[in-house]
Amino acid sequence: MQNVENVEELYEDEQKIRFKRRMRLALVYAVVIFFAIFIIIPFYWMVITAFKTETQVFMSPPMLWVNPVEWQWVNFSLALERAPFIRYLANTVLVAILSTAGTIITTILSGFAFARLNFKGRDVLFMILIATMMIPGEIFVVTNFLTITSFGWIEDQTFVEAVLAMTVPFMTSVFFLFFLRQAFKQIPDELYYAAKVDGKTDWQYLWGIMVPVALPTITTITILNAMNTWNAYVWPRLISQREEFQLVSNGLRDAFDDTAGRIMYHEQMAASIIVTVPLIIAFLILKKYIMRGVSRSGIKG
Amino acid sequence: MLEQERNIAAWFYLAPALILLAIFIFYPIFNSFVLVALEDYNYLQQTYDGFTLTGNFRNVLNDPNFGQAMLNTMLITFVSVPVSVIIALLISVWLNAIPIQKIQGFFQTVFFLPYVTNAIAIGMAFAFMFNRRYGLINWFLGLFGIDPINWINMGASYGNAMITLLIYITWLTLAFKIIVFLSGLQGIDKQYYEAARVDSASRARILRRITVPLLSPMIMYITVTSFIGAFKTYTEVIGMFGERLGPPGDPNSMTTIVALVYDALDRSGVPGAMSEAAAAALILFAITLVFTFVNMQVSKKRVHYG
Amino acid sequence: MEITLQNLTKVFQSKKEDEVVAVDNLDIVIPSGKLYGLLGPSGCGKSTTLFMISGLLKPTEGKIYFGEEDVTPVPPEDRGIGLVFQNYALYPHMTVKQNIMFPLENLKIDKKEGLKKAQEIADLVGIGHLMDRKPAQLSGGQQQRCAIARALVKEPRVLLLDEPLSNLDARLRLQTREEIRRIQRETGITTVFVTHDQEEAMSISDEIVVLDEGVTQQVGQPQDVYDKPNNLFVAKFLGTPPINLFDGRIENGKIMIGDAYIGKSEAEDQEVTVGIRPEGFKIVERSSFQVEVEFVETIGRDTTLIINHPNVEVQGSFEDPEEEGDVTTVEDTEFEALNLEMGSGKSIQDQKTFRAIVDADYGVQPGDTVKFSVKPHKMHVFNKETGELV
Repeated sequence: MQNVENVEELYEDEQKIRFKRRMRLALVYAVVIFFAIFIIIPFYWMVITAFKTETQVFMSPPMLWVNPVEWQWVNFSLALERAPFIRYLANTVLVAILSTAGTIITTILSGFAFARLNFKGRDVLFMILIATMMIPGEIFVVTNFLTITSFGWIEDQTFVEAVLAMTVPFMTSVFFLFFLRQAFKQIPDELYYAAKVDGKTDWQYLWGIMVPVALPTITTITILNAMNTWNAYVWPRLISQREEFQLVSNGLRDAFDDTAGRIMYHEQMAASIIVTVPLIIAFLILKKYIMRGVSRSGIKG
Repeated sequence: MLEQERNIAAWFYLAPALILLAIFIFYPIFNSFVLVALEDYNYLQQTYDGFTLTGNFRNVLNDPNFGQAMLNTMLITFVSVPVSVIIALLISVWLNAIPIQKIQGFFQTVFFLPYVTNAIAIGMAFAFMFNRRYGLINWFLGLFGIDPINWINMGASYGNAMITLLIYITWLTLAFKIIVFLSGLQGIDKQYYEAARVDSASRARILRRITVPLLSPMIMYITVTSFIGAFKTYTEVIGMFGERLGPPGDPNSMTTIVALVYDALDRSGVPGAMSEAAAAALILFAITLVFTFVNMQVSKKRVHYG
Repeated sequence: MEITLQNLTKVFQSKKEDEVVAVDNLDIVIPSGKLYGLLGPSGCGKSTTLFMISGLLKPTEGKIYFGEEDVTPVPPEDRGIGLVFQNYALYPHMTVKQNIMFPLENLKIDKKEGLKKAQEIADLVGIGHLMDRKPAQLSGGQQQRCAIARALVKEPRVLLLDEPLSNLDARLRLQTREEIRRIQRETGITTVFVTHDQEEAMSISDEIVVLDEGVTQQVGQPQDVYDKPNNLFVAKFLGTPPINLFDGRIENGKIMIGDAYIGKSEAEDQEVTVGIRPEGFKIVERSSFQVEVEFVETIGRDTTLIINHPNVEVQGSFEDPEEEGDVTTVEDTEFEALNLEMGSGKSIQDQKTFRAIVDADYGVQPGDTVKFSVKPHKMHVFNKETGELV
């Protein structure tokens, strides 16, 4: 079939093909790493600045690396002196828990109704709710501010009132209702019928069967909701009448307002880290849920 | 479902959610239109001075910042969205090409980080990064012999500040897009790629004629939601520039339409401010609607489902 | 274009460190212009072989030649093959015309020229009038023809088909397999197709290659392989209804099943498995092979007698894989109850019964006693252990 020379040629061809393939793979990695660096750089900058001394911060050209031995952990206490960040964290956690708990409960209940019960106007009502998702939040903000004021939660605000003002409007979410209903609908009707035959009430069925089965979706919703609270800025800023009532985002911004001269970047970055790190840790632990929730919203969309 | 109607039970289950929605969603929608029609509405005293159809809208349009807000919002939307979509698409394709699952997963996590970070916190980091004297960016450019640029500090030009803002917003919004595209790419049946190889298609052709069309529903979803999100830019600007909404000495140069709403809200005691806020919000809504409609029409031709 | 497979081997490494030898040293020559069927149960390596010929899989060892050219290192896009996937893999967002023209675009063929070719080939396969439809708007049979057209339009040297009929309903299958043969004859392209359905393979192939667990069992023309199986596997795999198997022995030159004399043999004394085709029984007046008829099935033309016999060798069944499933050829009587009637006409070895097809004229009734003689050319004797022909 082949004489010896040709065999060697063929061997070379194979080598060439393998080489091309390796080059291509190397290119893929190079590009991905390049963009990954682009993504990481701001984080790196935030961290490195937070551990510098004031002098080091205001160096030009900037210091790119600080020996870990010399890291200025003191910056964190300086940041805490500037503004009660621990307080802000606590507030945020509280608001997150309350609004998320509220959302979970109202969504589970209404999700049950939409997914499992047959009632007049069900589909029309659902369509209307979906339609509201397309309306920008600013439309609601204006009136809601007035409403909250009329509840007396703005005037002479107490802590409880502040918390209420920041959680109550967010104790339900059409977005999450949409997803939960989806998850509930995937549970076969037969399970419901079987439960009925066993004498279970709707309430027992909902909490005993539907919720456990839909737990992954509920978990994702919880996490995403909590994340939203953590990063919320505009509403807390509008609502909180006193410094102690602020949440992390608006607290952070207010603390380092640069109208009063030079910003102490090392403190500012330390504060930023205080604000960002909890969420990043949560992300690293729960990343499966978060990423799955986001990608699923893309598929449904 | 051949089940009987359970109206009463249903309404019990719906009640908590519906009450909240009624107060905080439905009522505000309705009320926006009411507010916008009131003249000099003073909410503290619950008085107003007559009705007006266009008065409040005119106030918004006459606001000295309106033109700037409009320009900025449009720039941000029509520059950052296409750029970030294209970059996200490329990154996803390359990310998908990594054969080892664990490594791909690692990079996925990295690329997703911006999504879980606080826009204010990271905005501040960006601001310092672009600092004229002490920032990382100018140092890097200096390596290539480029003089330090005044990006966002005192006296910075509008162009520089805007570019910085655009870079920041693009960076921030890549994460969400990458995740959605990646999951879309992974959902494409490998056999299509095998068939294309057998059909002698080059990699570029496969990307253009097979991958992108099959991904088009995702691209469509991302584009629409990204545009809608971009119209609402505000927090990001606050993150980078603070409440001043611009470099020192040039306040409100980076303002956006949503900023107008919150500006008005800050003046809540002033008669008519609430109505202005409502008007600005409605203008935003109108823009979003028109735009989404246009987007839908365009996509009909180019999106292939199934 | 002649295809030669030389020492072709494919070993898969699974994560758990164990190897799977999917294809074991295949040595086959497929002559130019012929339609060859690769036949075997699920997991026998037929699809793996097909994909190695296409280039989508790299062999662990061995070589593949198209004619004189060693194509083993050549990637699929450069081999000049046409491949029809089991699920067709038609690009859903393109029309039929665009699907068919896609390979031509990649080969940089002039657009007008390409359009002409595409139309020609579409007409050849019978979908010329559907050029502007999308795959989702086509029936299963039309989709498949579109896939075939796409494979043929670039005038490949070799055409490969992966289970072309398995996604079609029974009625369409008969029609389509004739279509495949017709198309192959008209184009004259060397064609290899993969199937687990022996009826399909037998009906249209010029020659069939029977595979089991990666090893070639027999190669030959369908009728020859049916009439002269080399081993037990081949005998069992081909034939509907399947061959009847009996425990028997060779004693003093005589083939015996129990006390019944079946035929002559020159082999030495040994325990054997006697395989008798259902059509190999003849009703006679006098014979030591005497049985009582259990059931009678009449289908007009023939009558099938179902008869209990203590010497019937019970083997497991070949699962007819509509999906990819595990095949267990089980020699365990406990698994008899695997009733896997799957609509392809295959039936199972019932417990301890065998089937004999006889002329309806005999008017046999259930409960009758019948005496058989066995037609020697319909009987095959295999060594009990090795399964080889005796």
